[in-house]
Amino acid sequence: MNIEFVQNWFSQVKKGTLSYIILIILDEKEYYGYELVQEIKIHTTLEVAEGTLYPLLNRLKTDGIVESKWIEQESGIPRKYYTLTTEGRETLQEMKKIWSTLETAINKLQK
Amino acid sequence: MKKLNFTTPTAQKIYDDYFNRVTRCTRTLPLNDQLEIMMEVNSHIYEATQNTTPQTEVEVLVNALQNFGAPEEVLQPLVADKKVKQATRTFNPRHIIQALYLNISNGIGFVLVAILYLSITAFGILIIAKLIYPNHTGLFIGNGHLFAFGFISDLPNNAAELLGNWFIPVVAILIVIFYFLNTLLFRLLKRK
Repeated sequence: MNIEFVQNWFSQVKKGTLSYIILIILDEKEYYGYELVQEIKIHTTLEVAEGTLYPLLNRLKTDGIVESKWIEQESGIPRKYYTLTTEGRETLQEMKKIWSTLETAINKLQK
Repeated sequence: MKKLNFTTPTAQKIYDDYFNRVTRCTRTLPLNDQLEIMMEVNSHIYEATQNTTPQTEVEVLVNALQNFGAPEEVLQPLVADKKVKQATRTFNPRHIIQALYLNISNGIGFVLVAILYLSITAFGILIIAKLIYPNHTGLFIGNGHLFAFGFISDLPNNAAELLGNWFIPVVAILIVIFYFLNTLLFRLLKRK
């Protein structure tokens, strides 16, 4: 097996699916950054530097897919909560259809 | 922004050093963007230090910072995106150059923008050169074919300048065209 090839391929898959995973998680409820990272870690085996999530969230925000708000905490350190916009929910539905089609196609090919 | 306080001086120093690095990474951005990033990193580090198994303060902090990643690497795309936004909004040459520098690795599009921007600067220099060295700056032909557009220090004897007093208006029109193309390309890249 070519380990390097597989690692590169997995790195590309990870890069391409992280935004989809974030949208699926945010569809459930609003999350703050740290909590979102932990949720990704719980549900997937993706090992990402936690800080890489923020450029991605900023890009999703610029594209109008998520929105954010600061909420003050008793500790004095506020949390920034992210939530899906209406456009974000519609985008996620479309992504789910594409993912499902792709999954079916790959499953057929693998048989 | 309320910064975190640690009881051990070592932990405090590690935290302060890390935030100095975050400040250095974001210093080219407007103050509100800098503050937004600092608050988000601070909030993440705080939450990470609160949600961990009991260890020493230094261990907890070092783990949290390691998991977040080096600010120079993980924050670079965020700073680059925000810088492009600022450059598109203001079209200030300083912000454009900084945005190009931060995004140059993001693809051929930004390299093209950088070349167009350099050309605009070069055309501006040519206008000044035409005023100072009118005989050595222009569109030159020799032996019936085009051979130079710009400044030539050693002119061949058979070289003739074609544009004369029209050189400056032609270059000014080129600057406008290149500036328009650059703005268009920059906005298209930003939308990507």
